[in-house]
Amino acid sequence: MTGWETSERVLESGGFESRQRVLVSEPAVEASEAGARSLGVTYWQAVDRFTRGCVRASWTGGRGKLKLLGGATLLTFGPPELSFDDALVSCRHAIQGGLLALGAGGAVTLAQRGEGHQQELSVTVEGYLPRLAARAGAPPWTGILYAKGQSPFHAAVSLRYFELLLRGGDS
Amino acid sequence: MNVTVFGATGVVGQALVPLLAEHELTAVSRTARDEPGARYVVADAASGDGVAAALEGADVVYYLVHSLGARDFEEQDRTAADTVAREAANAGVQQIVYLGGLGADDPDASPHLRSRGETGERLGSAGVPVTTIRAAMIVGKGSAAFETILGLVKRLPVMVTPSWVSTPTQPIALEDAARYLAGVCGNDATYAEGYDAGGPEVMTYRQMIERIAALLGRKPVIVEVPVLTPYLSSLWLNLVTPVSASVARPLVEGLRNPTVAREERIRKLLPFELTPFDEAARRALA
Repeated sequence: MTGWETSERVLESGGFESRQRVLVSEPAVEASEAGARSLGVTYWQAVDRFTRGCVRASWTGGRGKLKLLGGATLLTFGPPELSFDDALVSCRHAIQGGLLALGAGGAVTLAQRGEGHQQELSVTVEGYLPRLAARAGAPPWTGILYAKGQSPFHAAVSLRYFELLLRGGDS
Repeated sequence: MNVTVFGATGVVGQALVPLLAEHELTAVSRTARDEPGARYVVADAASGDGVAAALEGADVVYYLVHSLGARDFEEQDRTAADTVAREAANAGVQQIVYLGGLGADDPDASPHLRSRGETGERLGSAGVPVTTIRAAMIVGKGSAAFETILGLVKRLPVMVTPSWVSTPTQPIALEDAARYLAGVCGNDATYAEGYDAGGPEVMTYRQMIERIAALLGRKPVIVEVPVLTPYLSSLWLNLVTPVSASVARPLVEGLRNPTVAREERIRKLLPFELTPFDEAARRALA
């Protein structure tokens, strides 16, 4: 696993875009519905493992909730939107709300994309409206919980996800 | 072909044996049987008694044995797999077909799931190519995991469940798992290969409980709590379901691991319409 990159920017819409990626020599998942789904399953597993079970995804009726200690709902998600072809395998969840979101909007996309002779594994959050980030025009310190807490936490979970994906793919 | 089935009288074995009717079949169990459709022999993979005789002349061996319920099930599974691997190699067997578990390759797999993975590796250790069909919960009458869920649904109007109810799984109908097992028999393209065999739907255990309850005309209240250890869960299951604590505990520990197919090569190799969960559960409940 090489090429670890993490980046984040604020879009004109006010939404945040965050992206983490690594490069691997072989596909981690198959280009199929099962492969696309396993990207999502492994990501939520990574959240669980990284937080030692304190934050877990819970699914009811196709919708997901990311819960803290089984109680507070941090984020809510739509059902997985799976797509796959020879070039791209992805699993996308729309963000629908929760304590950490100002409102519905944006999505998290787990993807595997061919890049030359390698494969890029990525986690992309786009159009997300984080409640903990500084609002436009507000002093930067008002967003310190997001900048020093949620944002690096998310990047660390992504790294754990890539590791888990590759370890599972070793079999 | 000459086919020997270890665990022929178990839940999966009984579904598989009729599908192998075109072959010369030797059905192995630990107690004597005499039923049409196969030559029944007595052997015990764990102790090694009768294993060599059961494998004499076999081309393909099905390994459907596990020691779940035994205190030292991991050690017993290792010993049994080593014995069959060695004797199969001595007998010139061409293929061992093994029913493993989805999620067994998870780095944090439970002892039960880890044991399923290790058993597959040991079966191949003497040089006979192993074809592994990895399945999640088998939905069928008598399946320990299914009976555990069913016991909860039937007996509890209110369930306090640990967080494993949110773990995704991909249960497969007993008949479909048996078709996959039968379909790879003697197919040399499947030698030394492993296949994920998921059912047609991915669901959480919570959703599974709700759907089985709906089939039974019940509507249990499910309260999810963040902390409930596998030990406490197994004691509770022992109390309220027909499954003993020694079987329930390794099963419950395994429920924290997602058991979802990562690939679907088996569906291309053996294409047929998979049984929807509700239909499979309805058959199991009949």
